Amino acid sequence: MSGDELRYRRVFRAPRELVWRCLTEPVELAHFWGPRGMTTPLDGIVVELRAGGRFETLMIGEHGSHQMVATFTEVVPPERLAWVEPATGVHTTSTLADLGDGSTEVVIHQRHVPEPMRSPEARAGFLTPLDKLEAHLAHLIREDRP
Amino acid sequence: MATTIDDERLDAMFAALADRTRRDIVARLSRGEATVKELAAPYSMSLQAVSQHIGVLERSGLVSRGRHRQTRPCRLEPGLLEAAISWIEESRRAWAERMDRLEVHLARLQDGEAR
Repeated sequence: MSGDELRYRRVFRAPRELVWRCLTEPVELAHFWGPRGMTTPLDGIVVELRAGGRFETLMIGEHGSHQMVATFTEVVPPERLAWVEPATGVHTTSTLADLGDGSTEVVIHQRHVPEPMRSPEARAGFLTPLDKLEAHLAHLIREDRP
Repeated sequence: MATTIDDERLDAMFAALADRTRRDIVARLSRGEATVKELAAPYSMSLQAVSQHIGVLERSGLVSRGRHRQTRPCRLEPGLLEAAISWIEESRRAWAERMDRLEVHLARLQDGEAR
């Protein structure tokens, strides 16, 4: 048994690029993201689509609202998207596979990350070396400016 | 997430279950109580190492040990595990519903593109 993990699989009759678009573009997320009975208005969605970027959704219901605040840990279009919610330690990975017949398999894998892994330093550890290089270069370029 | 248990306890439990040996121990205790020696028997690791794993499970609240008998048998505390299972069930339901809506949305998008 593995008590700390959730796996959810679904096949959609849609090309992978379109599914990816739906999972990553606020204008699409607004249509389906919120739980039943709640809406996710466009202006409450933040998607900074890069590792280390913010992923936030404000879900509004009749009896109150709920905000998901997460940080992307992996962004590999159109295959893989992962984020961690620092408040709860829940790490979610979505993997999109092109099944070759115009349909796309989406596998959601969710697990709890232990407390020490949730600090900004540890979250940075999720970033791939390339992402870190990119961030570092961006930092250098900023410093170079007069 | 409407679990009655606080996040910190849930964290400790998930951390305890993040290890294969400890999950194995929990699975075996789900069939009934056992002493540390009995639990250690199938493993090649030392009794001390197995005791440490049981210590982690005890601190997480998943496992308790008898006070009176000298062998202090270990037993599973089902409450916490149920909270974890309900978290997983809630999560699964939330994703299932979200995927239902995505399915509808995708169909709508493709319908629009076909026209």
